[in-house]
Amino acid sequence: MSEQNIDPSTSNQRPKDKGKIAMNSKETHSVSKRLQQELRTLLMSGDPGITAFPDGDNLFKWIGTLTGPNGTVYESLSFKLTLEFPSGYPYHAPTVKFETPCYHPNVDNHGNICLDILKEKWSALYDVRTILISLQSLLGEPNNDSPLNAQAAELWANQTEYKKVLLEKYKSNAAAGNS
Amino acid sequence: MAAPMEEINLAWKTAENVLSPWKNTDLSANKEDGQFSTAVNILCQNGLMDLLEDWFFEALQEDLRERVAPKFLGFFEKKPQLEDKDAEDKAVEYLHGVTQDYKPALHILEGLPRETNRNYSMLAFCGVSTVADVLRILLRAVVFTQATPVFRQCVDHFYSQTFRVFRQHNKPAQEEESEEEVTECMGCQKEQSDCRCEMIRKRFHDTNTKLDEIGLLEQVSGTAVTTLVHEQIAHHWLENKVLVWLKLVYSGNLSNTGSTCIEGFKGRLQHFLWETYARVQIEQLFNIIIEYPESEPAVQDLKTCLEKTDMRGHLVTTLKSALETRLLHPGVNTADILTAYISAIRALRALDPAGVILELVCDPVRKYLRSREDTVRCIVSNLTDDGSNELLEELVKGQPPPDTGAPGEEDADEWRKWMPDPVDADPASASKSRRASDIISMLVNIYGSKELFVNEYRTLLADRILTNFSYEIEKEIRYLELLKLRFGDELHFCEVMLKDVADSKRVNTRITDERKQKGEVEDVEVSAMILSAQFWPAFREEKISLPEHMQALLAQFTSKFEALKGNRTLNWKSHLGLVSMEVELKDRTLNFNVSPVHAAILMQFEQQVPATALRRKIAFWQSQGLLKEETPDSSYWGRGHDLVVGDDEEAESAMASAHAQKEEELQVFWTYIVGMLSNLESLPLERIHSVLRMFAMQGTSGEITLEELNHFLDKKVKDQALAYSGGVYRLPKSS
Repeated sequence: MSEQNIDPSTSNQRPKDKGKIAMNSKETHSVSKRLQQELRTLLMSGDPGITAFPDGDNLFKWIGTLTGPNGTVYESLSFKLTLEFPSGYPYHAPTVKFETPCYHPNVDNHGNICLDILKEKWSALYDVRTILISLQSLLGEPNNDSPLNAQAAELWANQTEYKKVLLEKYKSNAAAGNS
Repeated sequence: MAAPMEEINLAWKTAENVLSPWKNTDLSANKEDGQFSTAVNILCQNGLMDLLEDWFFEALQEDLRERVAPKFLGFFEKKPQLEDKDAEDKAVEYLHGVTQDYKPALHILEGLPRETNRNYSMLAFCGVSTVADVLRILLRAVVFTQATPVFRQCVDHFYSQTFRVFRQHNKPAQEEESEEEVTECMGCQKEQSDCRCEMIRKRFHDTNTKLDEIGLLEQVSGTAVTTLVHEQIAHHWLENKVLVWLKLVYSGNLSNTGSTCIEGFKGRLQHFLWETYARVQIEQLFNIIIEYPESEPAVQDLKTCLEKTDMRGHLVTTLKSALETRLLHPGVNTADILTAYISAIRALRALDPAGVILELVCDPVRKYLRSREDTVRCIVSNLTDDGSNELLEELVKGQPPPDTGAPGEEDADEWRKWMPDPVDADPASASKSRRASDIISMLVNIYGSKELFVNEYRTLLADRILTNFSYEIEKEIRYLELLKLRFGDELHFCEVMLKDVADSKRVNTRITDERKQKGEVEDVEVSAMILSAQFWPAFREEKISLPEHMQALLAQFTSKFEALKGNRTLNWKSHLGLVSMEVELKDRTLNFNVSPVHAAILMQFEQQVPATALRRKIAFWQSQGLLKEETPDSSYWGRGHDLVVGDDEEAESAMASAHAQKEEELQVFWTYIVGMLSNLESLPLERIHSVLRMFAMQGTSGEITLEELNHFLDKKVKDQALAYSGGVYRLPKSS
């Protein structure tokens, strides 16, 4: 674990109950400030195909939208995500899930994502923007060595077939969503 | 020669005797008639007629002063008593007698031949044409300058008495009714039995006729009658006219309620009077306000009326609508609105010290001023300009009474004077805040915050410094210190700006001195205004590259500065600044103070400048007649046409305009809106606004009101960047 991942508030004072510590208001404030800053950076950067915004008044839960990268089977498909930030953010990784079912080798049926930077390789230097960019590129370049969806991983080699299944699933979901 | 001399002396004496009625000489002039006319003839031949006339008036004045005036006023020495009503009579008779005595003499004098074109004579001096008129004027002047208060009192008494009588006898309708109860005659206040009204009336007419004959009627009666009438209108009109009529009405029905009714009516009628007057004044209130310091009495009158009537509501609505129709429309200059607002503050404060009316009435004015772009600019320039010092004086007057944190101590002293707030006061705001705020704070509060005001002042100050490009800042420092008393630390930036100017001056001298010592001579002297970027407002940006020669000069200055200041450097804003240049032409030399771009264009004509900027700046030289555009995009040197004085004074501000800043802010908000809509699908207006408030309106970015946002979003909908249906906004599907 790299240096910058050590949350001073947890590591120095209460090393044992990390994650669920009751942050005092000042620390919560600094987290909010960081999230506001990230929101600003994200919106101002205007990267194509990725966007996110806090859901309601809660700054700790965001809704994100990804558009599949051009030149991949995911092109022009858009996926909704949820991002939940722990109170120890950015020293702890946010929980990111697909809300729109996503047929992908590294995404399971419940939308859970297998991506190293969201798990063991998380660093406090990442932010929402980098997470979304990583996820966007993950769509086009799956890691087939550690699949959550084995069927998709197998099918990946056959891009035409893969796309067919993908669109089928995407459309059925869209129909279900609309009805 | 002796004979004529004696003759003349004799003639003079004769004339003198004839013309001196006060000597009580026998005026049966008949026997001397012949003598007199010969005497006059002699005097005439010797050219002494003028002298005679002058002597006569002189003697007349003396007589009036010494004899007539004391005696006349002597009649009034005693205190006037009701019984002693003859004093005026006697006095007037006496005066009448005196003038009658004068008459023959005057008549004679009138008949005397006179040189018409005298340069100076009593007649010409008094601006009248007959001798009798001169007497009248002299009488007025001499007798009445000595008038005593007792005399005035007598006259007043006389006229009020006669007025009563007169009124009594012009009211035939009520006469039969007053007979039963009234034992006193209403006119002369004597027992009915020995009423002297008739006599008084006769006396009145006699006196007036006599006074008129003497020509003193106006003089004597003027003041008395005016006061009397005024008093009658103010106090007695109701009672004597209206109430009397009402009495008639109620005495008809024979019930006992009559008198109480009338008492009730009296109160109500008084109230009507106040109310009518207040109504008239309120109609005029706008004009009264505009004229304020001069219209102070009207305001005081209205104040009295308001205390007795329930007209506040009416006043507020009327004045509000008057303001709206006459002031708050696009045809009025912001400066004028401000002036009106200021005098409204003053006038209404005098009218209602609690400030409630002011608060209610001026609310629309404040709102309107807020909607004008140049309001703050107007206020600030009004504050700091040399021309209109109204606000500056207000500023010099100093601090508003500071809000004392503990009301307790103040209460201890002033509880006796405490007044409850008027009923129409807004209970939400403390009465103290209304009372305490002075004109400056009221103006500043148009915007609700000092911040905007301070920002505008900063921009204006920056503009002034950079356009004048002078290092003389004493005046600015004075303004700043005055403003600092009021705004405190928020003006810190401005302080730094002024310090920058002072520092620049020092650095410039230092660099120039150094250069001189080294013996370096430059063809163009460079001096810089070194600004601390952080503290100055945003500059209007314009990308130009100056001619190499200029750039070299600037680079040289930079290196000198770096040597001086160690680890700091300069970042030139080459589009700001001022170049003093002398243009030598074939036949004349012209001097210009222009911006660097203007100079650059002339210095090196082929220099690459962005086309639009170039065209704009070249227009200046074209208007000066130095450049001429032959075919589009190619200009050449020369004096194509006569010198035309261009009227396109470029009033470009050096600062980024408020409008541009607003646009930028809106752009930021737009990214947020797109962000939230693409993730949260669709949102109603209020939700967007509250989300923006929560996430976007932080720190540097400004505020946006719900209305502004609504306006902005509607525009986006029109541009099809946004879709609106069912009360919610969403992004259009296609994107």
